[in-house]
Amino acid sequence: MKSRLSTLAVAVSAFALFGAAGAVQADYPERDITYVIPFDPGGESDVTARFQEPILEEILGVGVNVTHRPGGGGAVAWSEFQNSAEPDGYEIIGVNIPHIIGQPIQRSDAGFETDDWEIITFFHSTPNALIVPEDSPFETLDDLVEYARENPEAVTLGGSGTYSANHLGALRLEREADIDVTYIPFSGTGPLPAALEGGHVSGIFNYTMLGVQMEDNARVLAVASEERVPALPDAPTFKEQGYDIVGGAYRGVAAPTGTPPEVIEVLEEAFAEANREITEKQEPLGFVMEYITGEEVDEVIGTLREAYGPILEAAD
Amino acid sequence: MEMLLEALASLMTFESLITVLVGVSAGLLIGSLPGLTATMALAVLLPFTFSMPPLQGLIALGAVYMGSIYGGAFTAILINTPGTPSSIATTFDGYPMARQGRAFEALAGATIASVIGGLVGVAFLLLLAPPLARWAVAFGPAEMFWVAMLGLTLVASLSSGSLLKGLLGGCVGMLLSTVGVSPVGGETRFTFGFPPLQGGIELIVALIGLFVIPELLTMAAEGKGALPQGDEFGKGEMRISRVARRVLGKPVNLIRSCLIGQIIAIIPGAGGNVTSLVAYNEARRFSRDPDSFGKGNLDGVVASESSNNVMVAGSMIPLLTLGIPGAPPDAIILGVLLLHGLRPGLDLFTETGVLTNGFILSMGLAALMLLPVGLLGAKLIYRVVIKTPYYFMVPFIAMVTMLGTFALRNSLLDVGIMLVLGTVGYFLRLIGIQAAPIVLGLILGGIAEEGYVQTMLAAVVDPIPWLRLVSNPLSKVLAGLVVLGAGTALLPMWLERSGRLRKASSGEEEKP
Amino acid sequence: MILRLNTDIAAGGFGLAFAALLWLPRGEMGRLSIIFPRAILVLLTVVAVALIVKGLVRPGDRRIEITGSPRRLLVVAAGFFAWWVAIGQLGFLVSSLVAVFALVWYLARVAGPVSLVRLARWVPIILGLVVAFYLIFTQVLNVRLPTGLLI
Repeated sequence: MKSRLSTLAVAVSAFALFGAAGAVQADYPERDITYVIPFDPGGESDVTARFQEPILEEILGVGVNVTHRPGGGGAVAWSEFQNSAEPDGYEIIGVNIPHIIGQPIQRSDAGFETDDWEIITFFHSTPNALIVPEDSPFETLDDLVEYARENPEAVTLGGSGTYSANHLGALRLEREADIDVTYIPFSGTGPLPAALEGGHVSGIFNYTMLGVQMEDNARVLAVASEERVPALPDAPTFKEQGYDIVGGAYRGVAAPTGTPPEVIEVLEEAFAEANREITEKQEPLGFVMEYITGEEVDEVIGTLREAYGPILEAAD
Repeated sequence: MEMLLEALASLMTFESLITVLVGVSAGLLIGSLPGLTATMALAVLLPFTFSMPPLQGLIALGAVYMGSIYGGAFTAILINTPGTPSSIATTFDGYPMARQGRAFEALAGATIASVIGGLVGVAFLLLLAPPLARWAVAFGPAEMFWVAMLGLTLVASLSSGSLLKGLLGGCVGMLLSTVGVSPVGGETRFTFGFPPLQGGIELIVALIGLFVIPELLTMAAEGKGALPQGDEFGKGEMRISRVARRVLGKPVNLIRSCLIGQIIAIIPGAGGNVTSLVAYNEARRFSRDPDSFGKGNLDGVVASESSNNVMVAGSMIPLLTLGIPGAPPDAIILGVLLLHGLRPGLDLFTETGVLTNGFILSMGLAALMLLPVGLLGAKLIYRVVIKTPYYFMVPFIAMVTMLGTFALRNSLLDVGIMLVLGTVGYFLRLIGIQAAPIVLGLILGGIAEEGYVQTMLAAVVDPIPWLRLVSNPLSKVLAGLVVLGAGTALLPMWLERSGRLRKASSGEEEKP
Repeated sequence: MILRLNTDIAAGGFGLAFAALLWLPRGEMGRLSIIFPRAILVLLTVVAVALIVKGLVRPGDRRIEITGSPRRLLVVAAGFFAWWVAIGQLGFLVSSLVAVFALVWYLARVAGPVSLVRLARWVPIILGLVVAFYLIFTQVLNVRLPTGLLI
């Protein structure tokens, strides 16, 4: 009932504003766009959106309002978006992998589905990185694996959240290297540097950004990307060291299902241009810029769902 | 030293001074609206700082932070609603003072205490950051569990009247904190199949509901405003110099509260939410007249407000040296530092020392600016609150509260949760369950759970897992403090209960 | 209004009811998620039972006092909830204008009947303040307030 009422409301107001609903797409965009970030202000998703905001406004010629709707690791905003956002291109939302893959598998009442929207693009990724304190006995990844093999569950790896990109990365390391470690979830990236420096965990499985941030007092043993990350040229990849682990978090943006393709195209180009303009600021922080659009989106989701699905279901 | 002078010089420009002034005023305004927190104030400011040079951007953020933490005291004193969680303890004595017609004394005392607290925090940050930073990392999961337990011993002193009812409130608060996604395990809990509840019950939503709604309902039922017409502002008894003498005349209280504020500020995660409660509790414990607390003792206001303003600069110690945000608003400042290519670490104090010291000094400047801006603002807000008839106050406070609650997470459901908790809270207050223990439980529940479960996880290889909780020297000390704290809080209560039962129960009836 | 009520038993009863509400859905959770809430639930039950026992043996307060008019209390509380529902359906601006005006009128009646002239004089004040807050939140703080059917 409620959504029907608001549909009506939007239809009425659109009619009043533009005369006819059909004319809306032709000159998209004509009014301000709402860009929902499903996390707290100050996080990576937020900061990136704040960077994109002025560039998007310049390209699109309308205001772009970043608003926050945190809760449930993103799920609250995503379920609300899939239930009530209008497919007219004036409401878009940040989406993150693996959250949108993991939560619907993991929770009975996540309230949203992995595919029930049009993902415009994934604009960057942050590969996982395995980081140990400077005074750690583990000089290389092999040291750690060897020790873990002899002492199952004794190696503790901190990370951000349960069934997050970090957790899944740690679980993949267990599979690939055939070892048993103890993953300890923390609430977000914030407390991880303290856990590492204080020696409360043997290492942390987090993102490349933290590796960059802690360069002076920690060692990055491996990075889960195809090639070395520009901001961490000395850190080897897992692949180089013989473990097929590539993964991390992807950040992107989605519009509701049924949004006209022309609108998606406009947004896709705007985000790509924004990405090019902020590369200089984001790359040194450890981000890897991506330009994943159209069918590649499905490919990325498909591959990762295959990689994570069995792990998630086994753990359930 | 040279660097400090250079930093000071870079501050003494027209733009910097204006930035601090505007920042403090804006922060004060936002902080004094229930629901709008320091975190929110910083988030609103964030996009504007991108267009500023790094130092100016940081100055603006520091000033807004300082102003908004202080602004929380206004509503705490005038309408019994902490504008930010860090001023919960200010309500305990500030509001009774206002009801006695001593609102200005409370506001002026809070202002002076905030200025001193702010300056002390800056001094700590400037002089002792590196050695204190080492402290911050000592707090692992087990230690955090004990910190939360230590906080819970406050229930004993927060529950005026009945300890059992206080404990009950604490338990309810802790259970409310478990609604949503579990911190370890990632499952949804107590959502009753309703997806929007995955977001859990946000602390501020509960805080506003439990404090402000009962107050509004009481005003509506009584058919009159809560505050009497007080003395004319800043005259006679109310002269600022008199209040200043009273505050400064008790240096021990100030020093103790500032030290407590600083120690708690560097414990990552505990943050400013509990500093004022702990400082208030200790002020009462060491007072010669503990019974006067909660009935309008200026010392209580001073303890609370000085400690929470120490926290502003104090929590920057782990942030600037190690990149660990000590309190939630710090996460935003960390983001800004990184955006400007400033990596937390000791380099920040040497290589880019002018910038860092400029930022730190600007917070001191912001603290000083609180004095004129705060007193002026206090005067204005006081006048508005006193002169406005109650039938305008109730609907408008309700509206601002709903707006603030909504704005927190853009959630209409949160507004509903706020109203439900508030209405239930009114009736709970009638039967002797106060809001403070519930909120305390909500703050500490998450910390306790995460610490406990993480410790147990790390201890899977140990023969007796729970021994991990007391395996480090620091965790042993903290555990000892918990026992000691609970003991000293319970013992007098027990004596009173067994010996003077009549008296204890009559004290209970005095509460509104 | 003064009600006779054993507050210890009432508080204990509330604790038990709250514990029961959360006890039921506890079953399907994993070990790591339930360990803490379960401990607190047990503690809450113990405290609640202790309160009830104390209430029977050595009761504290045996009466509660609602100062002022209980009817006004309930009407205003109900008014807040109606306002909240209206925000979702009609939008923030319109429902707040109506709700604030209605509440001001209702509460002002305590001192006696409110003349039409006085009501008319409030209109610009209420309109101005509500619109001002609406604009501050939507334009300055960038909050997207609910719109519903109207605004």
